[in-house]
Amino acid sequence: MHLDRLRPALLPVVAVVVAMVIGALVVLAAGASPVAAATAIWVAAFSGTGAIAATLEKATPLVFAGLAVIVGVRAGLFNIGAQGQLLLGAITAAYAGYRLAGLPRAVHLPLCLAVGIVCGALPALLAGVLRATRGVHEVIVTIMLNTILVNLTDWLAGGPWMEQGQPVSRTPAIVGSARMDRVAGVPVGFLLAVAMAFGVWFVLDRTTFGFRLATVGANRNAAHYAGISVAGATVAAMTLSGALAGLGGAVESLGVVGRFEPGFNAGLGFDGITIALLARVSPRAVIPAAVLIGALRASSTQLQARARLAPEIVDVVLALALLLVAAPIILRWLLRLRPGSSPTEVHLTRGWGS
Amino acid sequence: MQTKKATFASIALAGLLAVSSAATACSSTGSGSAEPAATAAVAKGLPGDCASEQVFCIGLVTDVGKIDDKSFNQAAWQGAAAAAATADGHAEYIETVDPKDYAKNIQSFLDRKADVVVTVGFAIGDATATAAKANPGVHFIGVDAFQATTIPNLTGLVFNEDKAGFMAGALAGLLTRTNVVAAVLGTDKIPPVVAFGKGWENGARFTNPKVKVLTTYHPGGLDVAFNDPTWGAQTAKQALDNTADVIFGAGGKTGNGALLEVARQQGAYCVGVDSDQWETVPGARGCLVTSAEKDIEDGVATLIGQIRDGSITGGNAFGQVGLAPFHDFEEKVPAAVRTKIEGIVRDVASGKIPTGVN
Amino acid sequence: MAGSLVAAFAAYGIWGFRATAVLGFAVRSSTPLALAAMCGILCERTGVIDIGIEGQMLLGAFAGFFGAAAFGVVAGVFAAVAVGALVGAFLALCAVTWRVDQIIAGAVINIAAAGFTSFLYRPGRVIGSLPAWRIPLLGDLPLLGPVLFRAQPLTYLTVVVVIGLQVTLVRTPWGRRTTAVGEHPGAADTVGIDVARYRYGNVVAGGALAGLAGALLSVEITGSFDRGMTAGRGFLALAIVIMGRWKPVAAWAAALFFGVLTGLVNQLNFGQVIDIPPQFVAMLPYATTIVVLAIFGTRVRPPAAAGRPYP
Repeated sequence: MHLDRLRPALLPVVAVVVAMVIGALVVLAAGASPVAAATAIWVAAFSGTGAIAATLEKATPLVFAGLAVIVGVRAGLFNIGAQGQLLLGAITAAYAGYRLAGLPRAVHLPLCLAVGIVCGALPALLAGVLRATRGVHEVIVTIMLNTILVNLTDWLAGGPWMEQGQPVSRTPAIVGSARMDRVAGVPVGFLLAVAMAFGVWFVLDRTTFGFRLATVGANRNAAHYAGISVAGATVAAMTLSGALAGLGGAVESLGVVGRFEPGFNAGLGFDGITIALLARVSPRAVIPAAVLIGALRASSTQLQARARLAPEIVDVVLALALLLVAAPIILRWLLRLRPGSSPTEVHLTRGWGS
Repeated sequence: MQTKKATFASIALAGLLAVSSAATACSSTGSGSAEPAATAAVAKGLPGDCASEQVFCIGLVTDVGKIDDKSFNQAAWQGAAAAAATADGHAEYIETVDPKDYAKNIQSFLDRKADVVVTVGFAIGDATATAAKANPGVHFIGVDAFQATTIPNLTGLVFNEDKAGFMAGALAGLLTRTNVVAAVLGTDKIPPVVAFGKGWENGARFTNPKVKVLTTYHPGGLDVAFNDPTWGAQTAKQALDNTADVIFGAGGKTGNGALLEVARQQGAYCVGVDSDQWETVPGARGCLVTSAEKDIEDGVATLIGQIRDGSITGGNAFGQVGLAPFHDFEEKVPAAVRTKIEGIVRDVASGKIPTGVN
Repeated sequence: MAGSLVAAFAAYGIWGFRATAVLGFAVRSSTPLALAAMCGILCERTGVIDIGIEGQMLLGAFAGFFGAAAFGVVAGVFAAVAVGALVGAFLALCAVTWRVDQIIAGAVINIAAAGFTSFLYRPGRVIGSLPAWRIPLLGDLPLLGPVLFRAQPLTYLTVVVVIGLQVTLVRTPWGRRTTAVGEHPGAADTVGIDVARYRYGNVVAGGALAGLAGALLSVEITGSFDRGMTAGRGFLALAIVIMGRWKPVAAWAAALFFGVLTGLVNQLNFGQVIDIPPQFVAMLPYATTIVVLAIFGTRVRPPAAAGRPYP
């Protein structure tokens, strides 16, 4: 069997399976039962509509964050600030969600989402403009903005926007007209995320705009000589990236948390990097990648209850899966496959995008 | 070329495996004596199982973080495990990784017919209240969760942190030679931390009107504010350079970092928080004169005892606060100071001395 | 350099020990960042992007702690360096031999390091920390004594590493070849430089420095290990590499600049000079960095081949 006969899309699947087998060995080494662990993951993530909905809820913000990273990467930009943009989108959408009570649902919910999108886009826009006009690297600006926005949202949630009459740092609950529910057991936010993944795919892979971004991402000089505005593409890609992250935050607030509370969105933006990698920078592949990680994350309760396993085992499996996706050669060696031409390798970046 | 690559791969993987197994060996030998007995008990598995009706079963859900955090999760768990041992029952815990899982983690114990569910931290308070209303047959204990409205089967175990902070600050005001004391704190977004800090300031001023109190909070978000011992240590050093000579470290690992730094400096005192940090941070014994304690362990065990004998009521139960023993500093603290502090501790506990913190 | 010294003494003249306290904080908080940034510089100047610094530091801190617990603090430092170098070798293997995307390899290191250290860590061990060395005479100087010359050993080592790296990168054949490999591997190859060997060597050395930065946290600064104790310093180091334009001394200056701002935040809180929420004070160093870069931001140019496998 040649690995290259596997279609590239199958590679991550094989990688995940192998990662889980190695993960099972780690579980065994930790003195727990791999069967119990596998049962726990299955029960927690997929048995019954409640479990599936929980998995999809975990997957939803990961889709948005992954898409945000991918849009940047296509234009040769590394938006490491999805976390901060997501936080700002989450808190502003929550604010609109409780403050604008009384509006009809058809107005209120879209308005809240729009607020999240715009506010998520703003810090990314700043990073894009600084990159395009002043040459300040987006990695520095977005790392700095992450800390700034964590502090800003902590202050808002514990200060002017704090729910009165109780001691916890958090906003009031979002009113019903802005809540996103489930349709037939599927969270609306996830449906939105899927739609967005296809939307991003269409824009990036099927439009002139996407082609321009890709050209800029591949070679700035060539893009410039081809008459593409590198500055325009940079600002546009960063803004779109931030908008997606902000939307992810808004969906978290409106669909899952029901308010904004510091700490409830921790780490989601950084997961976006992982998802983008696992999906090999393909917008549609973000969906299965996010569902997979969502399932693993959703199983932390059952992993502890049924298998007595520390929840970090999920991270260990995840790192292995990522590595195997990124380095097909290891898979080939592990599976004792005959040498063949290497399957297409993932390339996330072309350097620091100079 | 391919075989060469494969060799590389095998070397790399063998290397990784060797490292991880060495690390396992290393950490498993490291888990020896100082590990809390309660954790060891679970690892071995206490007799019985929640599912059977006869067994008295306690389930504990942590706040985001680990059960061995040397702080409130660990203290609550030790209380639950002690209560289970007394009742010849069974205790289990689940560590919360994502705050969005609070409800799910609680539910997993309800599904397995737990008799008592203990939840730790006030962020989990809403999920606990919801679960309590839906499961009147199970009693819930919310550590650090103040109950504004009474639910009959939910008891909030709360503490007057300002009192503990005040007592410690009063001691600091008496001990300082430079008339400068400092507090290195987690974040001002967690009310108990602020209460400790304000109590400390007022207590120091109570015994020493000339004292200057330097207070600072960690500049990061909630996810790192309690987990940055490096910042804690370096900030404690900065406070020492500002001539402070008694330093209060209150904020999880961040505060512990401050204690460890002060322990390396000659002639400075440090004060721990929550539990007796003489036990939880042995590295700080060089400076640790006392800790501003809130006895979560005893509080949880006591409330579970009340659940068993039926005397428990809903609403809020106030746990013990006070100062931890001086340990090796018994002799270094002048007798006059000890007597004075004993009086202040008594009067603050009884409310005769107000802490000035609302 | 002379200007900042004058400024420091002017500050000392006006604010006395407060200036000492802030500058001392700046130096101490800059050392782990500077060492981590040296890892970034070594890797990137040779053409390999390392976003796994955070993970390398965390593993270094972990190995340093357990090494110190088992065999003493000095052994801990060596263990941290060894583990950092090993992870560096893994990164080089991914980047050079397997041609894995380097950002991915770095992300793998970060996730695996967080997972493994958290999974394996058991509390209960107590270690000492490296003792401070007071340099005779220099240690007695006003301001400079407490700020620079009463430090712990790894802090001095950091200074040596930063200056040594600056000199060797600019003045030695090794440094020029490293730059050539990072800027134009094809040309370097044609003049007989073994690109792969240079990349392996520098990435392993960089990993050792990141491991050392981890040892700074666990064995020197705190004398403890906690899960996730790097608290984002590895990512901050990435920004510092860029702020320092891939030059060792400039990167250290950037780390110091950042340290001064963070120390000022503490000092403002201490003095309760201003009555504004601590969150806003906390934003100060980060916001200032953006403003400074926006004003002075000429185009920084990374090594041309950073991130690209060769051949």
